[in-house]
Amino acid sequence: MSNQNRFDVIVVGGGHAGTEAALASARAGASTLLLTQNIETLGQMSCNPAIGGIGKSHLVKEIDALGGAMAIAADRAGIHFRVLNSRKGPAVRATRAQADRQLYRVAIRHIVENQHGLSLFQQSVDDLHIENGRVTGVLTNMGLSFHAPTVVLTVGTFLGGLIHVGMDKQAGGRAGDAPSNALADRLRELPFTVDRLKTGTPPRIDGRSVDFSDLEEQPGDEPRPTMSYLSSLADHPKQVSCHITHTSEKTHDIIRGGLDRSPLYSGEIEGIGPRYCPSIEDKVVRFSDKNSHQIFIEPEGLGTHELYPNGISTSLPYDVQVNLVRSIEGFENAHITRPGYAIEYDYFEPRELQPSLETRHVAGLYFAGQINGTTGYEEAAAQGLVAGLNAARQSQGKEPWCPKRSEAYIGVLIDDLITMGTREPYRMFTSRAEYRLILRQDNADRRLTEMGRELGIVSEDRWTRFCEKRNRIDQLSDEMRGRFVQPGNAGIEALLGQALTREYSLHDLAKRPEVKVSELLSTIGHEKLPDHVTEQVEIDSKYQGYIVRQLDEIARIKAQQDFPLPLDLDYAVIHGLSNEVVQKLNQVKPSSLGQAGRISGVTPAAVSILLVHLKKQGKIPVRQSA
Amino acid sequence: MPYIKDTIAARATPSGRGGIGIIRVSGPGVTQIGRQILGAMPAPRLATYSEFSDGKGVIDQGIALYFNAPNSFTGEEVLELQGHGGPVVLEMLLNRVVNLGARIAGPGEFSQRAYLNEKIDLTQAEAVADLINSSTEAAARGAVRSLQGEFSTRINALVSQVVALRVFVEASIDFPEEEIDFLSDDRIALQLAEVFRELEAVLHETNQGALLIEGASVVLMGKPNAGKSSLMNLLTGRDTSIVTDIPGTTRDVVNETLQLDGIPLRLVDTAGIRDSLDKIEAEGVKRALAAGEQADLVIAVVDASEPDAPKQAESLMDDPRTVVVFNKIDLVTNTDRFIDAIHMSAKTGVGLHSLKDQLKERLGLSLHVGSGFTARKRHIVALGYGKDALAAASTLLTEQRAGELVAEELRVCQQHLAEITGEFTADDLLGEIFGSFCIGK
Repeated sequence: MSNQNRFDVIVVGGGHAGTEAALASARAGASTLLLTQNIETLGQMSCNPAIGGIGKSHLVKEIDALGGAMAIAADRAGIHFRVLNSRKGPAVRATRAQADRQLYRVAIRHIVENQHGLSLFQQSVDDLHIENGRVTGVLTNMGLSFHAPTVVLTVGTFLGGLIHVGMDKQAGGRAGDAPSNALADRLRELPFTVDRLKTGTPPRIDGRSVDFSDLEEQPGDEPRPTMSYLSSLADHPKQVSCHITHTSEKTHDIIRGGLDRSPLYSGEIEGIGPRYCPSIEDKVVRFSDKNSHQIFIEPEGLGTHELYPNGISTSLPYDVQVNLVRSIEGFENAHITRPGYAIEYDYFEPRELQPSLETRHVAGLYFAGQINGTTGYEEAAAQGLVAGLNAARQSQGKEPWCPKRSEAYIGVLIDDLITMGTREPYRMFTSRAEYRLILRQDNADRRLTEMGRELGIVSEDRWTRFCEKRNRIDQLSDEMRGRFVQPGNAGIEALLGQALTREYSLHDLAKRPEVKVSELLSTIGHEKLPDHVTEQVEIDSKYQGYIVRQLDEIARIKAQQDFPLPLDLDYAVIHGLSNEVVQKLNQVKPSSLGQAGRISGVTPAAVSILLVHLKKQGKIPVRQSA
Repeated sequence: MPYIKDTIAARATPSGRGGIGIIRVSGPGVTQIGRQILGAMPAPRLATYSEFSDGKGVIDQGIALYFNAPNSFTGEEVLELQGHGGPVVLEMLLNRVVNLGARIAGPGEFSQRAYLNEKIDLTQAEAVADLINSSTEAAARGAVRSLQGEFSTRINALVSQVVALRVFVEASIDFPEEEIDFLSDDRIALQLAEVFRELEAVLHETNQGALLIEGASVVLMGKPNAGKSSLMNLLTGRDTSIVTDIPGTTRDVVNETLQLDGIPLRLVDTAGIRDSLDKIEAEGVKRALAAGEQADLVIAVVDASEPDAPKQAESLMDDPRTVVVFNKIDLVTNTDRFIDAIHMSAKTGVGLHSLKDQLKERLGLSLHVGSGFTARKRHIVALGYGKDALAAASTLLTEQRAGELVAEELRVCQQHLAEITGEFTADDLLGEIFGSFCIGK
């Protein structure tokens, strides 16, 4: 009987972080329990109905390369796909899918229910069992106890959630769902640093009340991309279009007239909202010189008329929301199905986490998702995968794993969070990644699948398909280096539009910006190869110089970056560090010298003092950097 | 070097000369030491006339200056005792301070404390060291300018210009749906060109600064017996190199420093370049060629009396670092054959002025000796890499419209500049972007 209540890993929460955490844990071979308030909302997209985008599809493809569910679910639910930055280089290209909310939930639930070693239970969690600074299990609101040496908390905006519409406010984790206040109170008793963040959502609109006739239609891209390395176009449901409209001066006047009843501007909301996803009232106030803002009208799904007007997130009172919506072209007679709202919620200082996402205050307890101050489904899922995997590994007595900044956007995300913390909901952008030319969405599998296989979270099927792709890329690459064309080769010269002055290898020709590998191959009569093979060889050649330079940079700083700092080091005993620096280092407890240097306020002088200290202790065999 | 918070003292003025001699004391023991010597501590930052006592009698009389922590150069308690400059008196005063608990400071230790207490940044700390080490007046003036942060100010201005560019480039990459497409915008190309020019200007001035501090190395090269050693002696005014009529007399590299209007030059005489069977001479030739490769400037000495002199000169002119000198011009009657080079005679001294002018001009110092920054080699290297990255960004923008590669070159450029001034994070960059554009759906 007790066996039924005993697991290796317990995951609390069934959102994007929770489902990936539970799946990764179970794939890694740990017996896993997923506890959720409501099985019907597993994989719920509570904000905009889209997966991916700039910086975000990089995360989705990395999750996919490590055997996660998000990309496959996005392909099964995607009703409109676009490639962003398609005219810029491959390193900054991104894929975005508008997803049918219901299809997405179905896809996630299907994957969760069919995962070997994963049990589901519908019950909210009120308390954690903690003994001697270690988590040992959880207590549910029915009074049931479940035991495990590791627990992953992924409770999103449900901790102390407070929903604002105008001056009205009510407790809630998401419109229509109860918050987890008992758990929030319990966590506030533990030595975690808690703060408040804010996010918002726009009113939803009944599509039958919208006049599309004068609105710009935005169809999906052709050729249509897929999100997962394993998917094909056959996995996609029916495709639909999005539309674009704009706010007007009249809209802005209505907003300005309602500001006195805005919880944001009256001081009701304490939490800090994201700079990149401002509410419409924020945009009108901060950028008063702009007389129009763009709105993307996104379908919520194939089986509903509801629309998501992306760009008018608001917490203004309902009567103002109605007027502002109806001042927008195409929305003159619009019917609002759900009001927009702002939500404030608790998050925990992420600088108190280790790279494994285990908390430093309670052993065996992991945090993932919005609880760590991030926003976005993709950011949550990425953390969930890492936390779930590491919880499983700890229960199996194995070392934790977290990718480095130079290996994955997941590594950038976690390093940023645990090193710099965040004062606004953290969202991924490609500009956060210094090794952007290496960390591309097209090569996430080449960067991570082999590691995922070693970690035991990549299936046989995915591994076989990856190996085949990798072999074909290697073969083609070798072949192109060894195959030469001579001056006078008419086909090649016609393709280049100029005569060859000497002998060239195909590899060298492929470095030229305008040359496509597929065209080179067909010109010399080579058999046709799949696009995902020629594409990789082409990108490798075009970026080669830059990739070599970035790899050099990574190698150069590696020795110092990776040098481990003891987690129990008290920085106050080191002479010469300013009080401010000591405080920051003691707060973050960096796990490496590199991480210490990335903490804001930790000067190069402070890092060299640390180096000197470690050298004096005989812990570091390095020369002092100039 | 570990930073132990004890009290250090040192003579702050050069030894052996000067009307005033200063002893500087820094650290927690300052008040106690001051009371013993002065009787009472003077008010902070107030020049106070006082007797300096050794406990038994008066050593000297002078001005005492007290700076309380953290409002001092080092950020610690600091006392300056300005007495008469005699070495014996100063030595006695320093001994007294040490007897009261201070220890003699190591070289640069005051600056080090200032840096560790974040009173000055790294470039300023290095400027202080340069000031101490500077051997000529012009270099000392350059060091003062860097200390005042003029160099930091110029580099920071450059960094902001690069950041402004990156804001557009990164915004158009991360927010493609926000209609901020810089690639179709000529302003970016113009802005890029402007930053490039400014970086070039700073680099040029910095190069001068580096020459002032480290001295330019000028190597004399030429065939055996062309008169290199005579020229060396003429330039230095000393008989450093042995001069004979026998080719191959100078068998190794001979070094000498001299000042050319305040610019330190390291003048290097080398063995004449020829195929020699003499082992020692052959080694000398090898070293001569190596010295030539590292030199800032090469003076190629050609014997004007040899029939093929113009032809010899022609082959040397290609290297932009080379100044060609036709020596022994006094032995030649028709000088028309020797155009575009300096005509001189090391024997009579004819042409020495034009040679010196030419050297100054080639070292880029002729116009504003006073405008250089003192910079370390690492600054110049960093600026040089930054310049290369900007040049690459410009090409990628205009020829390929490759946004992500332009972004990469700008990132690299900023990273190199940050080696001089300090970090600027990705999050700072995003802050600039959000402050500049209305972004977000």
